[in-house]
Order: sequence, then structure tokens, then C-alpha cells
Amino acid sequence: MKIDIQHIAKLARLSIPEEKAPMFERQMEEIVAMCENMPEITADFDPVDPAHPMALRRDEIAPSFSREDILRNAPQSQAGCVVVPRTVE
Amino acid sequence: MELYEMTAAELSRMMQAGKCSAEEAARSVLGRIDQVEDKVGAYVTVTGETALEKAREVDGKRAKGEKLSPLAGVPIAVKDNICTRNVLTTCSSKMLYNFVPPYNATVMDKLSDLVVVGKANMDEFAMGSSCETSYFHKTANPHGLDYVPGGSSGGSAAAVAAGEAPLALGSDTGGSIRLPASFCGVVGLKPTYGSVSRYGLVAFASSLDQIGPFGRSVEDVAMLYSAICGKDPMDATSADRAYPDFAAALCGDVQGLRIGLPREYFGKGVEEETRRAVMDAVKVLEKKGACVKEISLPSTDYALSAYYMISSAEASSNLARFDGVKYGFRAEGCEGLTELYERTRSEGFGDEVKRRIMLGTFVLSSGFYDAYYKRGKQLQQQIAAEFSAAFEGCDVIATPTSPTTAFRMGENLGDPLKMYAADICTVTVNIAGLPGLSIPCGTGANGLPLGLQLIGPKFAEQTLLNTARAYEIETGGFRAIPEIH
Repeated sequence: MKIDIQHIAKLARLSIPEEKAPMFERQMEEIVAMCENMPEITADFDPVDPAHPMALRRDEIAPSFSREDILRNAPQSQAGCVVVPRTVE
Repeated sequence: MELYEMTAAELSRMMQAGKCSAEEAARSVLGRIDQVEDKVGAYVTVTGETALEKAREVDGKRAKGEKLSPLAGVPIAVKDNICTRNVLTTCSSKMLYNFVPPYNATVMDKLSDLVVVGKANMDEFAMGSSCETSYFHKTANPHGLDYVPGGSSGGSAAAVAAGEAPLALGSDTGGSIRLPASFCGVVGLKPTYGSVSRYGLVAFASSLDQIGPFGRSVEDVAMLYSAICGKDPMDATSADRAYPDFAAALCGDVQGLRIGLPREYFGKGVEEETRRAVMDAVKVLEKKGACVKEISLPSTDYALSAYYMISSAEASSNLARFDGVKYGFRAEGCEGLTELYERTRSEGFGDEVKRRIMLGTFVLSSGFYDAYYKRGKQLQQQIAAEFSAAFEGCDVIATPTSPTTAFRMGENLGDPLKMYAADICTVTVNIAGLPGLSIPCGTGANGLPLGLQLIGPKFAEQTLLNTARAYEIETGGFRAIPEIH
């Protein structure tokens, strides 16, 4: 299986420098080759374990974080908002 | 004997009997950290001051006769992917080099009267088997400083092995507790999926991740597991059920226990000395009344493939949140959002993390989903069914934790497939959502520890702990803390 590393990187919002592309390409091809040994199984898979069904908790209002607490980790903030580069002209 | 050499259970009993204070225990452990940390490198952050504050607080409460948990005042190391309020939580990544969580993981709230001495080093975002992909520094194996401690919870295991903490928390997605426990000669438990809340654990592969305990004795691991398990409304996947007091119910009785030995775990790639050590350990249990039978888990050969399909797919989705917008690292001087995302992620993630994200992106991408991801999920169901069938004829499955002892630093770093092979005996347990326990079972020719893995049906932790306890009693306990020069 030939992997187009630059295409995959773009989908994943990564940029891979040209000098590293051959290494990633070779390693990913090796990993994918290993995974091609998986047998064909016709049975469908059940995404939820029937013995352990998940239940959503009730949507109840409870104390949450303060704006200050959350913004303390923001790389850049202003007037109570996170600042990002201009997205709309 | 110094306080840092004591087990958590011994410290707990001494504190309750007034023979030592939490502050004395914390000072002893912090002193040991001062003494050996420059050689071991188990921690990303040592929280000396807040540890002493907490220890004094617990001592004060004890003096007043307030109700405390059994492990109150015992020092603990916490893997750096478990959120600790107001304490740096980096996942050993540049991406989170400055992240200070405004909240605690549920396990940290449950352990609120233990004394956190530091945040333990790990492979970046828990992706690795050697602790070498940490952005900050490598961690050494306390039993041989040129060797890796295993990963990804290498810092947690090394801290416990080196006497830099009697207890530690780690997380295990494909072997990340059991492998380092084996390499460092300590006890490590990967609990049943759903038994410990994942709220506040930075997600790698959500359907496989599980937080679990490390200790130098089976009792310590049982005590810490009892303290962290249970239903949590903040984690929809946490199971709603009653748990016993695992430490109180601990016994070394294996009379009539049926131990299965899956032949696939003793074949190609498993060193002869590993095979022999595991078989010797099984003989010890047989002598105590267990019976042994050979079993087969035929899909084991495909487990690594299924694991890398599923875990990478989930990782690519989980790690999409790291974009430089709301927290963590942000690349400087970007024009436009796309450039901000791409440059932040390219500069913030290390190569192994990028590899997994891209692998996951690939297997989920249009045209490849059925051939890779879906086949991985189908295989997962088949592996789980094979375990269920096997447990109709046995109570516990015994295997090596790792095919070999610890490898040398740098040995596998350039070869992902060789690195991934270290997890060959452990990934199946995560795939099937089962509990797995690693205990030390002798040493290899290089003097480094070997591990025995005990696997049980879902929620059979007590059986695993009792089996391990039987071995521990019979062999006179596990190795002492090594001298570190």
C-alpha cells in the first residue's frame, strides 16, 4: 500500500517537512503492511457492549467553571474572549 | 529502614498508630527524590511544597480525630496525563507544556487526602513503550540506568521502583501500566474497562484507556485500586456496580484455582528466560493448590494490528482538540486559522504522536475505513469472544507481561514496529476490556526484572490480586529498592 503522506498530513492539519516525509512514509507503510494480515471477518460489530450499556446522566444545572479559570489557560484573550487570527474579512 | 522504603500499607498503619506523621513520610520521600532523581528522571514536576502542606493538613485532621481514608497521608506519584487542579499537567508534550488544569480528574478527588509528591514522566500523550518520547527528558530504569523503564507510564513505575514514591497512578491503553511494572520490577494493575472513571484523564483511545495503580506489594495495589474504582456520573462509560474492599478481602488462597496458559503467548519472540520464569511462577501456584491447563487464543497473532487500527483511529479524533486556540501551546505569528492549526500541531507534537494521528486519519479516511478500521473492530469482537470462551474453562490466564526484559535506551527508537512488539502480550487485554495484573517473577540474565501477567474475566480483580498475593507470600515478597549510583 502506497501512502500519500502529504495528503494524510493535510487531512490531519499537520505539515510534514519534505526531509521527514520519506521516513514517515516508509514507517506508515510498514505499519499498514503489518495490519493487512488481519483476517476477513463477516460478522458485524456491535458498537455498544450489551452487558454494559451506557446511560447519559440527567441534564441538570450545576456549578461549572468561571470564565477567568478557563481563560487562564488561553494563549491569548481579550475582554473575556479567546483571541484568534482574523477568520472573516 | 527509611520511611521511603516502606510500603503504603506499612506507612498507613504507622500513621494510624502514631508511629510516624504524614509530614515525616513526605519528607523522607522528597529526600529520596533529591538523592536519585537526577539519575532516574521519573518526574516532570515535583510538588514538594504543596506535598508538605497537604501532609501537615492530614496530620492536623488526624490529631483532631477527623475521618480519613485508609491511605490518608501516603505519598503518591501521578502520571502527567491525569489532571490535577492548579498543578501543571503536560502529558510530557510541548503541546501542553504550560497547561494548568482548573479541575481535578475524578481519581484525584477520590484520593484527596493522599500526598501528591509529583507528576510522573511518560511517553508523549501515552504513546510509546519506553518513556523515550517525552518532550522533556528520558526516564531511566532504576534497576539499570542504561535501560528504559518501559512505557508509557515509565515515570510512575520508575518512581515506585526507585523509592521516589510508594504508590503511583498510571494509565494503560495497550500495556502502559503492565509493561513498565514488568520492566521496573513492581506491581501494576490495569483494571477492567469501566471500573475507574476516566474523567480528567487526557484521552488517547477512549474505548481502551484505563487508569490504574502501581505499588511495591500486592496489598498496596489492592488498597489504591479500592480507593479509585467506582461509578462516576462524569464518565458515561464507568460501570454502575458495587465493589468489595479489595485489600480487606485479600488472601493468598489459590486452592482449586484453574490457571490457563495460552500457547500463543509462549511462542515466537518470547525469550527462553522469560518463558522459564513465567512457568516457574506458575509452578509455585500449582504447589499451592492451583491446577494448570493449556488453552488457545487463536486471534492473538492479529491483536497488535487490531490495536493499532483502533487506538490510532481514536487518537486522531481525540487529539484534534489540540489546535492552539483555547489552551496549551500556540505557534507564534500565524496568519489565518488554518496556519494556526497546522503550525501549532506540527511544532507542538512529537514524531510518534504525529505518526499515530496520521495512521488514524488514514484508517478512517474514505475508501480505507472498511479495509482497516472496521476489520480491526470486528477482530476486537472476536478476540473478546475467545477470551470469554477460555474463561469457561479457567479462572485466570497467566502469560509473560513482556517477551523480554527492558531494552537499552535508543535501541528501538527508530523502529516503530520493533517498539510496538513490546506490547504483544498486553494489548489483547485492553482490546477485550479485561483486567490485567503484572507482578515481578524473577530476573533475566542481565539482572533486570521479568513480569508475570495475570488476566481475568471482567471485574475479577479480586481473583487476580489473590493469585498474585499467593505468589508473593510463597516467594517472600518482591525485590527491594535498588541502590542507585
